[in-house]
Amino acid sequence: MELDTLYLILGMALVTFLPRFFPMVFLTRWTLPERVKKGLEYFPISILSAIVFPMLFFNGEGRMEVQPHYLLSAIPVFIFSWKAKNLWGSVILGMVIYWSLGFIL
Amino acid sequence: MDDHQFKAGVKAALPIVLGYLPVGMAFGVLARNAGLTTWEAGSMSLLVYAGASQFIAIEMISKGISWFPIVIATFFINLRHLLMSSTLSLYFKKNRLRTLSLLSAQLTDESFAVAMSDTSKISNRPGYLFGLQITSHCAWITGSVGGALLGGLIDHKSYGIPFALPALFICLLVFQVRKIHHFFIMVMAGLSSLFFKWAFPGNWYIILTALLVSGIGIVIEKKLIPSPSTASGSGEPLARRGEGEPARRTSSLAGGDRGEK
Repeated sequence: MELDTLYLILGMALVTFLPRFFPMVFLTRWTLPERVKKGLEYFPISILSAIVFPMLFFNGEGRMEVQPHYLLSAIPVFIFSWKAKNLWGSVILGMVIYWSLGFIL
Repeated sequence: MDDHQFKAGVKAALPIVLGYLPVGMAFGVLARNAGLTTWEAGSMSLLVYAGASQFIAIEMISKGISWFPIVIATFFINLRHLLMSSTLSLYFKKNRLRTLSLLSAQLTDESFAVAMSDTSKISNRPGYLFGLQITSHCAWITGSVGGALLGGLIDHKSYGIPFALPALFICLLVFQVRKIHHFFIMVMAGLSSLFFKWAFPGNWYIILTALLVSGIGIVIEKKLIPSPSTASGSGEPLARRGEGEPARRTSSLAGGDRGEK
């Protein structure tokens, strides 16, 4: 392995590890104020929204533009997940719809 | 470490595996094209284990950019894990440093999302989260090495594969909507993330959205919903809070903390 590649991988590993590590280690040892805890409860839903919605309205280069292929696949998955509460089913359904739409779009 | 919990975690990871194998494979192929060896691609997936930043690193390598700027870019892309690690810390009090290091090292968007879909399963159960994460990590490494060795066995743009992880995220987002005000939180977070992504370069939109929306969430909860912290003494509102959301154990968890300290 070239030295530069070694630095690259170890450097990336370190800077990725630290933000994963510090809150887990320190916050588990501190008593958080009730209000902060309440705020943390909203992190999962806001993080997931921030992952899902830009995917539907931004292209690969980061320009805002409706993604019809993604959007049309996403809507049935939203509805199915809500009704059926089934993760496997949602993933498979999403893939099948996305694949089928590929023949049309 | 509890064997039963570990197995439950492994099982919960399978939808992630379905997404990670082909995407990892795509990473392996691109890494080889950019001049990395199979061994290097595999080490990166083992030690870094963060999909988006690995793809961006490969893109930067093929443009001839040196290691240092790539490491800096990686740091900013993966800074969002701070939020997820903070959230997970609520559920792992009183665990040893070794356990916490191991759990935090393998934290990804996908495993976090699955873990959060039923927090009663992770609450002080490192075995479950470990099973979930190690399985996902193995799938990522297997995919990467497989892709680097064999090339794209399957076309990762085919069979709906590009939509496997998006569908996973959509479903897990829907699972987070447990009460009516969660729906508004979701819409608000969706709109703010679009605005932040449009307004700021890079990956800041996830962090900015989470901070803004959780702030709004605190205010809404305070204004519209009787505070559980003032009501927890009577026990009745706590029980009502728990009703219809068996997955959510945070209120009882918060109560437990107060007892421990």
